[in-house]
Amino acid sequence: MVSWLVEPLAYEFMQRGLLVAVLVGVVCAVVGCYIVLRGMAFLGDALSHAILPGLAVGYLASAGDSPSLFWWALGAAVLSSVSISALSRGGRIKQDTAIGIVFAGMFALGIALISTMRSYAVDLSHFLFGNILGVTTEDVWLTAGVSLVVLLIILAFYKEFMVLSFDLQLATTLRLPARALEILLSVLTAVAIVVSLQAVGVALVVAMLVTPAATAYLLTKNLRRMMLLAAAIAASSGVVGLYVSYYFNVASGAAIVLACTAVFIAVWLGQQVRSSLRARSAS
Amino acid sequence: MLKNPFTASGRSLVHPESSHALELRDLSVRFNGLIVLEDLSLRVEPGLRVAVVGPNGAGKSTLFNVLAGLLPPSSGEVRVHGHLPAQYLCLAYVPQSSLIDWDFPVSVRDVVMMGRAGLVGLLRWPGSRDLQQVERSLERVQLSQLAHRQISELSGGQKQRMLIARALAQEADLLLLDEPLAGLDLPSQEQILSILADLKQQGITVLFATHDLELAAEHFDRILLLNRKLIAYGTRKEVLSGENLALAYGGHMQVVETKQGPVWIGDIGGHHGHDVEGRHG
Repeated sequence: MVSWLVEPLAYEFMQRGLLVAVLVGVVCAVVGCYIVLRGMAFLGDALSHAILPGLAVGYLASAGDSPSLFWWALGAAVLSSVSISALSRGGRIKQDTAIGIVFAGMFALGIALISTMRSYAVDLSHFLFGNILGVTTEDVWLTAGVSLVVLLIILAFYKEFMVLSFDLQLATTLRLPARALEILLSVLTAVAIVVSLQAVGVALVVAMLVTPAATAYLLTKNLRRMMLLAAAIAASSGVVGLYVSYYFNVASGAAIVLACTAVFIAVWLGQQVRSSLRARSAS
Repeated sequence: MLKNPFTASGRSLVHPESSHALELRDLSVRFNGLIVLEDLSLRVEPGLRVAVVGPNGAGKSTLFNVLAGLLPPSSGEVRVHGHLPAQYLCLAYVPQSSLIDWDFPVSVRDVVMMGRAGLVGLLRWPGSRDLQQVERSLERVQLSQLAHRQISELSGGQKQRMLIARALAQEADLLLLDEPLAGLDLPSQEQILSILADLKQQGITVLFATHDLELAAEHFDRILLLNRKLIAYGTRKEVLSGENLALAYGGHMQVVETKQGPVWIGDIGGHHGHDVEGRHG
């Protein structure tokens, strides 16, 4: 049993992969709590797809250097979230429609760009599904630094983000800078998405944002506990997913997301059973 | 001017001595050319309980949104204790209960503490003074025992009292309450009305939007009758005349004298048929 656990750790790529999976899981889960509470999963999904053209341009500009890919992707995400809020601001286009337009347009642009650069041998599937076992030591440091900054910002604005998510009107009557805080929160979402790309890829990031947070939401009615629990679920799912990926040769991003999903299903089923038992004992 | 003990803070605004709790000058609101509020001018003395009444679509909610600074007026000016909207923190909006996400993972105390967020300030954590204010606010609405409850476990009356406590924690001198008694049972209604009477003792001004003319007449110091324009503002006797009611409700509201006192019978919205605009429950 012990050797089963220790064996993969002999490989440095596994060590780096595990570190990144845990870091990314924690950041996405904490940011994801706000996304789940505000009902903005669609925005999260849209932002994750909308960064594809940023990745493509970044790849062209730097031949795959990760820090520069990070900035290009972040730029594309911020551009998309600003466009969405500008389009929906007048009220003539509803927000989910604006999200749909921007997300599909940006994603199409990304695919178009990548399809033109065959000579660079870009592997589209790495963008779409991640390549966590290919992370370099530099990537680990970048991920750790960015994760720390995101978590510190959330800690610093904890009470403001809570007011904003619970009651936007209150935020305004308290003269909090509501609009700036909303933009900050969507930038943090964009950062969490970009930093998770190598782990799970564009197509699956939304699961990292939503699934652990939703699982924690089922288990507790306290925001702090919800964030801690979501982080713990995401981090352990990252580890379990990578081991599954190592031993059963499953794509690593998919394995991590499936581990999160399995925890969610278990908790959800457990609660269904418990509430039906309670209903039976009550009647 | 009566002094609210909650505003002994150095961080709160100091009000000019002679200021009115609320002053409107030629306030108008238009949406896409449609006039929602027209030329409202009004002065409210501090410490009064004012019932804001009028038919559906009279602009009660719009007025509250403008007062709270959520909606800019098309023209005219709002001053709360002499301050312009961008300056005042001394106003609290107690929203309709239906606008709150009651499944949000917070406790009663967490929500009341949210009222402090503006006073605590950015990048700061609540201190002992903030905690004290929260406890006192909870005490004043008799929710100290339930401070740890998750908000979804509260009854309708407790939810409304929690939102009032949040306004008190905010150290507000002017409270806007939008239909706070809607859907509450009679004991809960009485409890909230007695909290409002207690607030009057503290010099806190209350604006209370309601459909219920009888409630307005019975429990409030002043009545503001609104239907796009300000029809009348004053005491019950001054405001609830047949003439004013006809102006506000367009002949759909009648005063019927009974042995128990006047009863207002009205036809709101048309599709409800005849509703008695009295106290329900």
